[in-house]
Amino acid sequence: MNSQNDDNLKELFERFLSSEQAQSSVEDIQKGEQILREHPAPEPDNMLIANIKAEIAMRLPVKRTNVFMKTAYRAAYAAAAIMIIAAVSLSLFDKNPGESGPIPYSSIMPTAIWESDDIATDDADLAIFTIEIEQIEDELRSLQSGEGIRNGDSSLSELEMELVAINNDFWKE
Amino acid sequence: MVNSDDLAQLIIGCKSGDSKCFSQIVDMYASRCYGYFYRLTGNKDLSDELLSELFVKLVEKIASYKGGSFEGWLFRVASNIFHDYLRSKQRRKKMLDVHKVQIESEITEPKKSGNEQFDLLEIQLKRMDADTRELIMLRFYSQLSFKEIAKMRSEPIGTTLAKLHRGLKKLRELMQ
Repeated sequence: MNSQNDDNLKELFERFLSSEQAQSSVEDIQKGEQILREHPAPEPDNMLIANIKAEIAMRLPVKRTNVFMKTAYRAAYAAAAIMIIAAVSLSLFDKNPGESGPIPYSSIMPTAIWESDDIATDDADLAIFTIEIEQIEDELRSLQSGEGIRNGDSSLSELEMELVAINNDFWKE
Repeated sequence: MVNSDDLAQLIIGCKSGDSKCFSQIVDMYASRCYGYFYRLTGNKDLSDELLSELFVKLVEKIASYKGGSFEGWLFRVASNIFHDYLRSKQRRKKMLDVHKVQIESEITEPKKSGNEQFDLLEIQLKRMDADTRELIMLRFYSQLSFKEIAKMRSEPIGTTLAKLHRGLKKLRELMQ
């Protein structure tokens, strides 16, 4: 069996040895390899080669199936992981409203409006409420400026009553 | 010696699961790999077994071959298989030592099957140390460069050269 690297062998040895020693070493190696060539190992049986080829052919479809199964298992694992994460997330989202109760700032809005989906009606209620507040403000302003003073105490009492009534009406809705 | 382009095509075929390409690889390398195993084990049945294992491993591992010397890669797999065999043999030997069973000698020195005969080279090879014997066989049957062999054995190239030189010189002396 000839080595494809024999040409470089002397050069290689010369890196470590003198030229003469390198030459001698190359000859030693060539003579040693000549002995190996003169005593060849037995060849593998044809039957063995045929069996190996048959085994390879038999294993190839198995290998393909294994690849498919591996892919299927990976997909199943990924799907299971996604489902678990989704389930955990949903349970967390479900628990949050129950655990924390109504959001604190919802109390400044009437429950009816807060929970209502009828935006147009809600807007109309708010508009009426705003107009009433503005009217009361105007009346308070005129009272403060002394305009239209007829009976100061009773006017103020009327305004307060009116304000309480509006407030009650508003929160009732 | 096969053209490197043809070999590359065969390897692509093997990676895609083409049994004909595997068959061609078997035809190309079976003889050399068998010689390697036979000269290391000195046993035909065992060499048959190791050669079969090598090509089964080839099917399993061909996807991990990422280029470079295919022979270097194949003989590295062969070398690993041989070392695995040595390790399992050691384990069996230890078990036998514990139980003091007589058949120890049969396992450590496998008998020839059929009409197989020891040749002179095999006798002399057995007198050499295992590492040098393996190096000589790796170089002779794989035809790898010293650089590749040194890399495979994780040792400096000078060490590989010196060991092989000493080993072949000793073998020549033993054979004379």
